[in-house]
Amino acid sequence: MKPTSRLGVFILVAPAVLIYCFAVILPFIGTIALSFLRWNGFGSPTWAGLGNYSRALSDSIFRSTFSHVAIYIVATLILEVLLGLALAGFISSLKHSAFYRIALFVPVMLPMVVIAVLWRAIFNSDYGILNAILASLGLTKFQHIWLGDTKTALFAICFVSGWVFSGFYMAIFTAALNRLPTDVIESARLDGSGEMSIFTKIKIPMIRQVTSVAILICITGGLQGFDLFYVLTDGGPYHTTEVPTTFMVKSVFRDGEFGYGSALSIIVSVAGLAMAYLFNLWQKRTRVDVEY
Amino acid sequence: MIRRRFLHALIGAYSLFALLPLFWMFYSSFKSNAEISQTPLSLPHSFDFRVFVDSWRVGGVGKYALNSVIATTASTVLVLVTASMAGFALSRLRFPGSRAVFLLFTLGLLLPIQSYFIMQNQEFDYLNLKDTRWALIIPYTAMGIPLAIWLIKSYIDSLPKELFEAARIDGSSDIQTYRFLMFPIIRPALVTVGIFSALGAWNEFLLALLYVQDESLKTIPTGLLSFSSKYATDYRMLFAALTMVTVPMIALYVGFNRQIVAGITQGAVKG
Repeated sequence: MKPTSRLGVFILVAPAVLIYCFAVILPFIGTIALSFLRWNGFGSPTWAGLGNYSRALSDSIFRSTFSHVAIYIVATLILEVLLGLALAGFISSLKHSAFYRIALFVPVMLPMVVIAVLWRAIFNSDYGILNAILASLGLTKFQHIWLGDTKTALFAICFVSGWVFSGFYMAIFTAALNRLPTDVIESARLDGSGEMSIFTKIKIPMIRQVTSVAILICITGGLQGFDLFYVLTDGGPYHTTEVPTTFMVKSVFRDGEFGYGSALSIIVSVAGLAMAYLFNLWQKRTRVDVEY
Repeated sequence: MIRRRFLHALIGAYSLFALLPLFWMFYSSFKSNAEISQTPLSLPHSFDFRVFVDSWRVGGVGKYALNSVIATTASTVLVLVTASMAGFALSRLRFPGSRAVFLLFTLGLLLPIQSYFIMQNQEFDYLNLKDTRWALIIPYTAMGIPLAIWLIKSYIDSLPKELFEAARIDGSSDIQTYRFLMFPIIRPALVTVGIFSALGAWNEFLLALLYVQDESLKTIPTGLLSFSSKYATDYRMLFAALTMVTVPMIALYVGFNRQIVAGITQGAVKG
């Protein structure tokens, strides 16, 4: 029997460790270090201590990015997770549902930038179909410059996000619902429970764990959102759709504030991790074990 | 019965809502620019496919697609090879530091791209990696590795121990076991990992935007964005380009929808 050789282990583990440390771990440590410095990308950096962090906390635009992203997260929880759950409930109760399952997932496959460019065209006030549809329905007074109006821009982005990802959550929930054991549901049906109450009182509690993962994905993904925001509005008009990542990219790559941008990136990352952690704690405390 | 019809109507309408924008994009590429701006909803009168040839050749969509294929294939193959080797070692071999290595990779599941891209940008700048193919292949590989190792390791953990013991008693070295025994049997895990990392690389935008300014090296997301500003008023070219990058993906998806949906949802839920 051959023992495990040192060289064998090294050959197997080293490539993954090297690439990963080179492109993720080292830059991560470097970003933390940079967040305590003042640096414009050239010349020598100077020590800033917590200066970048205190500046970030009093930066009114940066602070506003958190309220925008909070609105975005709440909206996407409704338009993606909740709608996805409802769609999955409908779809799993139908016999011939393959077409719907395939059709609703199509947008998830496509690059976000491609989707954003397409929706920029849909929202376009000259040739976009949204205003054209409103006009053909006689609703001209509801026409808007959707992405250029401070009142509608953020909601337009949430809407596009919902268009893409409701199908994603639908797929997650459909898979979970189809895995459920049928005996419990059958016996409830024999007891005379209606489909609606079976769905809300039996099925939803049974897929609780999947639901909490879905909520977590939606929250952490929302906090990191960039592609849609960058292409559709680039944070405008007047910073009303500015989110942490677009703001961070601007401070580093437009204003050349490397230290400040790094502090912003650490704050956002820590906020994301803290939210995930708190969410898990809350989940553990409130979990009711459903027996099946 | 009525209830079922109602549900079909409801979900049917929603599916239409999901597909309508794509359908509009597709048929608009056959209309003239004047038609597109004057009657955005109307269907085309004729089908002229030359606009696709134009945006593929003159507009550079073909070039962007090739660059995306290269970056995606290279990074996915690298993820599959390196992560399956490391995942195998972390699951089946005992060696000093294995726990620390595993924790290091687990950390990667938690770190968002925002927590390291600024310094990664400096690193790549310093090493003159920007505007080369490696500028995207390296980070896409590195970002795919943690989840890949996690999925592959838990898959191997679930396999019977005796399988590997037997190979070892027969005198096969760890690397031989990896190549001839493990690689074939973990195929299901590799499919999931492959789909997840390939789509991630294919769709990635932020790093591609920062690291590749050279037009001839841009991938589909960044290339399409510069295409859309170059042809901002040539609507049909834009719609043709959008159609050409989406239709092949939709075709691929319809063909393999079961594996793709499973790959994406499993990857996302477990990550």
